[in-house]
Amino acid sequence: MRDVVIVGAATTQFGRAQWSLLKLMAEAAHGAITDAGIERKKIDAVYVANMGSARNNRQAGIASALVDRMNLYPVAADTIENGPASGASAVKNGFLAVASGMYDCVLVVGGERMQEVNNFEATEFVSYLSHRFAEYIYGITLPALAGMFARLWMQKYGVTSEHLAMVAIKNHANALLNPASHLKMPIAMEGLLHSPDSAMNNPFVADPLRFFDCCPVSDGAAAVLLAPADLAKNFKKTPIVISGIGQATDTQAVHERPDPTVLTAVQTASRKAFAMAKLEPKDISLAELHDAFTILEIAQSEQVGFFPEGEGHLALERGVTQITGKLPINASGGLKAKGHPVGATGVSQIVELALQLRGEAGKRQVKNPRHGFALNFGGFGNNVVATILSKGA
Amino acid sequence: MAHTVNAARCNKCGQLSYPTHYYCSKCNATEFSPIPISGEGTLLTFTRAYALSLDYEQLYVTFGIVQMDQGVRATGQLDIQEPVLGMRVRATVGPVRDIGGRDVFGLRFVSVFPDAAAVESDQPALSASPSAS
Amino acid sequence: MMDHLEAMLRPPKLDMAPYPAKHILLANGETMVVRSASLDEVDVLLDAIDPLRTLDRDFYDVVGARLYAELLGWKRHRVRNEYCLVGVIDGELAGIVNGRMFDEKHGISYHTLTLKRGLRIGAHLFASKMEHHIEYLGQDEVWIVAESPIGHRRWMIEYPLQQKFSIQHELGGAPSWVLTRETYFKAKSRLVSGARPVPAHLLEKSYPIRKPDLRTMLIQIGETLEAKL
Ligand SMILES: [Zn+2]
Repeated sequence: MRDVVIVGAATTQFGRAQWSLLKLMAEAAHGAITDAGIERKKIDAVYVANMGSARNNRQAGIASALVDRMNLYPVAADTIENGPASGASAVKNGFLAVASGMYDCVLVVGGERMQEVNNFEATEFVSYLSHRFAEYIYGITLPALAGMFARLWMQKYGVTSEHLAMVAIKNHANALLNPASHLKMPIAMEGLLHSPDSAMNNPFVADPLRFFDCCPVSDGAAAVLLAPADLAKNFKKTPIVISGIGQATDTQAVHERPDPTVLTAVQTASRKAFAMAKLEPKDISLAELHDAFTILEIAQSEQVGFFPEGEGHLALERGVTQITGKLPINASGGLKAKGHPVGATGVSQIVELALQLRGEAGKRQVKNPRHGFALNFGGFGNNVVATILSKGA
Repeated sequence: MAHTVNAARCNKCGQLSYPTHYYCSKCNATEFSPIPISGEGTLLTFTRAYALSLDYEQLYVTFGIVQMDQGVRATGQLDIQEPVLGMRVRATVGPVRDIGGRDVFGLRFVSVFPDAAAVESDQPALSASPSAS
Repeated sequence: MMDHLEAMLRPPKLDMAPYPAKHILLANGETMVVRSASLDEVDVLLDAIDPLRTLDRDFYDVVGARLYAELLGWKRHRVRNEYCLVGVIDGELAGIVNGRMFDEKHGISYHTLTLKRGLRIGAHLFASKMEHHIEYLGQDEVWIVAESPIGHRRWMIEYPLQQKFSIQHELGGAPSWVLTRETYFKAKSRLVSGARPVPAHLLEKSYPIRKPDLRTMLIQIGETLEAKL
């Protein structure tokens, strides 16, 4: 296998799109192409990550449509749909295509435009990820699955609502430093939980999870350009190496997991990514975790291997996961505040790591990072992709 | 016609699973018999969810995961005012959702001891062992 | 000096009980003062609403245009008993709600307009409006009609409102919904927040009302900037 590097990376503004999904995706792709400083006719193949364009935007075959929008014919093009983990899945497929020697220059674009439908429809659409007969028919939503998970986790490890709010407060603060983020709004503990007005400010969505424990419904797109390491000198920017990828699956119905608090696919995917990169969790300088719900950042920070079991919230308390801490988590603002355009999320996590490793992350720059870790979490943990990026030697 | 929600029992080794999978997780056989989910169980976790899809008109729906004494686990709606982790519940089957103007039936759990929630709160929240029958 | 014709056009004024100001601590740590706006503050409200009247997003155009007209009608003395409550954060306008008394026992909810989104300001202000009708104006019912179906649906379910198709709401919409005194008090602890009295320095800071910066407001609402600036 050839070594694969990221030679271009870009993201659009997350939030409410001002234009169509295709234009959003094209804007991100154009950003990555410009960032790499190449002509677009050099691109051999395009992988497009998206979950819902056929349902929400009345456009199926989104990869072909994007090729047309960008006049990229006759490149090879595939759509990758892996729920909220579509983005990292698409990067993985792009990686394989370059590593195998089949293609030299691969464009990976992830995008979603969810606000074309209303919030009730968006909730319904995302709930299609659950098991159709054992979960969906009951009205189960992703927040409901996360609520049941949070109740168990909090009881088992003594995690409180304040810990959950601390994740949200940290990630909202980080998002203020990220020009592309959806929510640019500081939040504070008192108004969230400790004031008589809190019940109305921060109502339950799926108890014990509240409004500010959940990510927003966002539009946005992100893109990376991949090339073999030996051709990296043809591009403008410092190449960033994709040093490890791991992917794993788990039961679709959450109730079938022997211990519902154990996210087996997170553990397995992470272990595989570390093994491939020949690294350990302690080597990681910063991580982008899939905090669609605040509880997930805490749980994943342990199950990836960064902190011992039951200590993720303690590390959070000590400030370890702040941008200035020993292991910054979600310096970008995370899904919680940067936003969660489903198909774009995995790609945008990788864009963030690439920018951080190049030292181009502006006000949210983590100090001297060497290796970055991203965790993209599909369904409620039934398909997880972990990716490790490293600064070249 | 009485509605049921069925688990699958492997015709070869008797392993119960819910929902149904193509292969038996224990012996890889592919023939199963339907076994209605019924009787009592223990509530493992629950949530009161307020963010619902468009077809719900109530303020919230309570969902839970139950370890059935039968051996399988199941997700369903709870008809329980104040659920408590570890409480004893009984499976019933009733309408759980209206999809396209048609009632869909599923599991609705009720409390076995409707007035004893406080006593039950001392019970273990999560049985440590998986649900193999 | 009012001429004879103008005097005829002006409906006889009905006295309304005042809405005592309150303050709410928001999730971002800021404090919002909710108080009634006076007639001489209408101009600044109109100024803030003006660019929203053509904003085709989440019914901002319909709500903006109708609220503009209602406030203008109030300012020019064409409505007998309209009130307007504002949410003000550090002097800056965050949201507007208005309504009027149909008669002594029945209130009419007009509109709810949020200028700063993501902090549940619309929900706080709508609740304040219900509080005003039931607790301070002493009414038995508030009539409410749907213009933005999704947002309204949330209120219907949250309170919950009851259908009352026998009445015709002034805004012309149908069906009409009502909040009764009984439903209000059942929902109050869950939905109505805020503390009184407002400390003098906070209340002072809510005068004069400043309209939000247009660019910030439009980004907040999520509209195409190019189209509006
Ligand atoms: Zn078997």
